[in-house]
Amino acid sequence: MPQFSLYEEEFHPSPWQRTWVAFRSSHIAIGGLILLGFFVVFSVFAPIVSPYNPAEQNIDSLLIPPSWETSGSITHLFGTDPLGRDVFSRIIYGCRTTLGSGFLMVVLAMLIGVSIGTFAGMLRGVRSSIVNHLLDALMAIPTLLIAIIIVAILGTGLVNSMWAITLALIPQFVHRTRTFVRAEMKKEYIMSSKLDGANRWQLFVHSILPNMTEMLVVQGTVALSIAVIDVSALGFLNLGAQSPLAELGAILGNGLDVAYLAPWNVALPGITIFLLVLSINIVGDGLRSALRKRVSH
Amino acid sequence: MIQILSRYAVLFILTLLVLTAMSFSLVYLFPGDVLENLTGIVPQNDIQREALMRQFRLDQPYIVQFFYYLTSLLQGDWGYSLASGLPLRDEIGIAMPATIELSTYAMLMALFIGIPLGYYAGLKNYSTTDHTINALSITTYSFPVFWLALILILFFSLNLDVAPLSGRISLLFDIEPVTGFVLIDIMLADGIDHGLAYRDAISHLALPTLAIGAITTASMVRITRRSVIDVIHRPYIVAARSRGVSEWQIFFRHVLRNALLPILPLMAIQITTLITNAMIVETLFSWPGIGSWLIQAIYQRDFPALRVGMLAVSTLVISLTIMVDLFNRIIDPSREKYERATV
Repeated sequence: MPQFSLYEEEFHPSPWQRTWVAFRSSHIAIGGLILLGFFVVFSVFAPIVSPYNPAEQNIDSLLIPPSWETSGSITHLFGTDPLGRDVFSRIIYGCRTTLGSGFLMVVLAMLIGVSIGTFAGMLRGVRSSIVNHLLDALMAIPTLLIAIIIVAILGTGLVNSMWAITLALIPQFVHRTRTFVRAEMKKEYIMSSKLDGANRWQLFVHSILPNMTEMLVVQGTVALSIAVIDVSALGFLNLGAQSPLAELGAILGNGLDVAYLAPWNVALPGITIFLLVLSINIVGDGLRSALRKRVSH
Repeated sequence: MIQILSRYAVLFILTLLVLTAMSFSLVYLFPGDVLENLTGIVPQNDIQREALMRQFRLDQPYIVQFFYYLTSLLQGDWGYSLASGLPLRDEIGIAMPATIELSTYAMLMALFIGIPLGYYAGLKNYSTTDHTINALSITTYSFPVFWLALILILFFSLNLDVAPLSGRISLLFDIEPVTGFVLIDIMLADGIDHGLAYRDAISHLALPTLAIGAITTASMVRITRRSVIDVIHRPYIVAARSRGVSEWQIFFRHVLRNALLPILPLMAIQITTLITNAMIVETLFSWPGIGSWLIQAIYQRDFPALRVGMLAVSTLVISLTIMVDLFNRIIDPSREKYERATV
């Protein structure tokens, strides 16, 4: 039987689809996404795409310039460092370490931050005031300071610096989540759920969390760019990842010793960090304006 | 008003107490001897050790130790550095103003360049100018600060040779640190050529300030632009326009001040980033500030210095943050307590 329904024939895109359409309309955002995807692919498939072992030293080929210079050779695309290690492979593995650890830290900070933030947002009275104010004030301690203290207690190393950065990232998530939960708790749909007898846990899982995911994704990109910069800064200051481990900041810091002789050892890791952070920021920005467009239309 | 002030005072004291407790617990958490971590004095023999233990109440419960620590901090007895043997209070008294000076100039740069640019971009929203400014600010914002500083050194100091590589002022100028701010100290110093000294000090200041300031400026542009765009789409702007108010009047009477309100609390967050960046850049320019001092301390395993340095820096950052927050609360009582703007 032929059916005619005006409403069923119309296609209703889901919120995420609408966000994607809005995101896609910005060329810059797509460019950033492609660049970020490029970095992710290189990081994930680092053992396959890198031509050499990043720790393999070769005394026969020290400080070979990158391939686009006249004295360079195509066997080492980005040249070699003072120990004869292939810079291209080291940068690929560096992306893997930096981006991977950044991602881990953001996920961890998000989990902890959202739990604390929800808790703080649902609290009321003096308790909430104390928790909120103290968290706000402690949020102000700089990452570098936390990192220095943790390194002093536990010693240097990538994992220790990761703890420090995670600790420094948590307050932002706490803050955002708390503000969001507070605002949402006053809305009517929460009231109706409450009238239906939902307890706090059900309220959070079924009502608040689905509305919060977008905010969390956007905040996650912000945190990821901070995490990448911080990991590489600590690696650069010799407080994070230690020498044989390829990490972009540490590679840059090591390259500083031969900056006169072999400037590509400083320039290439620096450009990589810059492009990585730039692509994350562009994607985050694009996502944010896409969400804003969707809400305003 | 009094309620707000007292609330912030309580918050401030409570936070400082928590920080002091954290710094006290570091004495036990750091590797090495507790007594040395606390005082920075290495006892020569057992008798001296006993005496010092008794003096610093280390033979008594933790609570007593903590209160003794608190009182000696308040009295100005911050312990001695393991590396140099100097009183830590004097060392921090020299290093801290250097960092504050650097961050102040960077912040001023952000305020005087970032905010007007942000207003301009926000008023011309979604035009080519706006997109250019926005793209530039995202690009600058993505620079890792240490790499930016390295590029500046490479370009201005090594290639063009227009700026010195390190330090605050040439050693030829004998300047007594009175306030710790080099530009003010030059004014107070006698028997030097003030013009030359200023030129030298400013050429030392330029590169580090530029490196830190560029990143702060970029985020300031982004914050301001967003805030302005939010404001000019409000109904009261449309209402003003429909009443026939000129664009200039709309800008000065409605947009300017309303857009400034959400920027202030975000500035509080910027302070943390600013100090972190300042600390990183200091190590590159050998700027004798608290950042390079702390990094030196960690390389030398100078635990008393780390303990006090951590307390000093976090106290500075938290006082600034709370002050900005308080100021914001006073000028804008209508705002809900926990509301903050977005970028």
